[in-house]
Amino acid sequence: MKRTIFCIQHAIPIALLLFSSFHASAQTTTNTTVDSSIYDRLNFLEEQASYHKSGDDHFMVVGLTTFGFMSNKTTNTLNGVSTISKTNTMADADRYEFSPMFLWRHEKKFLMEFEPSFNNNGLSVNWADISYFALPNLIVRMGYFVLPFGTYSKKQAAGWINKLATDPMGIATIPATDYGVEVEGGLPLGSMKMNYDLALTNGLQLMPDGTLSGGNIADNNNGKTFTGRLGILPFSNSCMELGVSGMFGNVGTPGTLQSNVSSNLYAFDFNFVKTFIPILVNIKSQYNIVNIGNANYISPLDSTQQYTFKNKSTSAFVQCAIRPTGIQALHDFELAGRYTMYNTPANSTWGANQHSFSIGLNYWLSWRSVVRLTYESYTATSTASTLLNAFTGNTNSNTLFLQFSIQL
Amino acid sequence: MRYNISAQKLWLIFILLVGIACLLLINGCAPSKAIADKPGVLLWSENCQRCHNTPSPTTFSPEIWETIGMHMQTRALLTEKEREKIVEFLKSSR
Repeated sequence: MKRTIFCIQHAIPIALLLFSSFHASAQTTTNTTVDSSIYDRLNFLEEQASYHKSGDDHFMVVGLTTFGFMSNKTTNTLNGVSTISKTNTMADADRYEFSPMFLWRHEKKFLMEFEPSFNNNGLSVNWADISYFALPNLIVRMGYFVLPFGTYSKKQAAGWINKLATDPMGIATIPATDYGVEVEGGLPLGSMKMNYDLALTNGLQLMPDGTLSGGNIADNNNGKTFTGRLGILPFSNSCMELGVSGMFGNVGTPGTLQSNVSSNLYAFDFNFVKTFIPILVNIKSQYNIVNIGNANYISPLDSTQQYTFKNKSTSAFVQCAIRPTGIQALHDFELAGRYTMYNTPANSTWGANQHSFSIGLNYWLSWRSVVRLTYESYTATSTASTLLNAFTGNTNSNTLFLQFSIQL
Repeated sequence: MRYNISAQKLWLIFILLVGIACLLLINGCAPSKAIADKPGVLLWSENCQRCHNTPSPTTFSPEIWETIGMHMQTRALLTEKEREKIVEFLKSSR
């Protein structure tokens, strides 16, 4: 009996020892299984992450498109006789645009931009350039780019950015793009900021009627054109920007009557964007002066005759937009208005004093897509030369635009 | 001893000196402490709307924001610090 009790007394600890040993062994086996599974999963995720990890280079496509409808009524009056024309156009040829933009970044030093555009001029190019980020606040660009003259063409003309369906006349008609090199950058100035943008390009070309064309890959003369803009943001919150621009160069073509003619263009721009709760106020303005040297031009009526005129144009616009971003029911709506003037040289074939008022209601579908309804009233009094058989009457037109614009 | 320097050479020297001065200016300018301490979210809200509506951070992937940031620096002429802070904010707020 004693022997039996002894056996039981010793068997229990041995059994417990064996059980705990077995349990520990089982736990070790389970842990090993779990660890292995986790490691496999981690390896898989690491592989996936590595597969998606950014490289030094990156290529992407963005772009924009604008499509709309225009209904226009124009009245031309000459010597008391009026003629009326009406136009209804789907796609609104003057403002239709489909422009993909290809961006290719090499590390953080190079950026290549290419923006072809399909519009009423067929297939053209808006940007084709390469930028080198040389210093923290110094970018060097070369290629085909928008000139730093004022701010409208470079910063505000894109359909999905513009507050109204049309471009301000005179401001957008100055040739905006050219071939050349450019240096630009933004600089901190204590609590203010400034920016600079300087370009040396082939330059504009004087046409036989005294207007300017640009963007020629082959220069029409040996002189290069300098264009520069300096901007200052006087407030620490960057809500206001003031800019002054100049463009100077020879525009005449050797061997023509205007071979030595040069041009001096100036622009002054103003930008103010600030929220006065609950309204976001956006005011933009630009004033352009175009001075082209004196020259004789061949008469369009008789090639043996010449005529001359003071070739000076001025244009300006003031635009204000308000958006009640702080009112939930209305925060997608925006109301915009603009006054534009454009005076072209008297006694030329294209002289006129022109004014337009535009008012629009925008509905923002997202931060980069908008439906616009714009009404524009335009009046022009011709100052062209009667001797050149130019139209010398008055023009009034009223146009309604319905437009959709998106950036992708 | 007299040196005869042509007007063209004088112009070249002048342009060179102006260039050097510009480079020094570009790298010597500094923001005030209040400006330097601005976070990316504030710079994002202040600068984007100068031209267009303020973009949502969820619009693009981090890699795309990096490229868009460089593109926008050339358009809006942001300082490099501003670009870096705005891009970092957009990448981290998706």
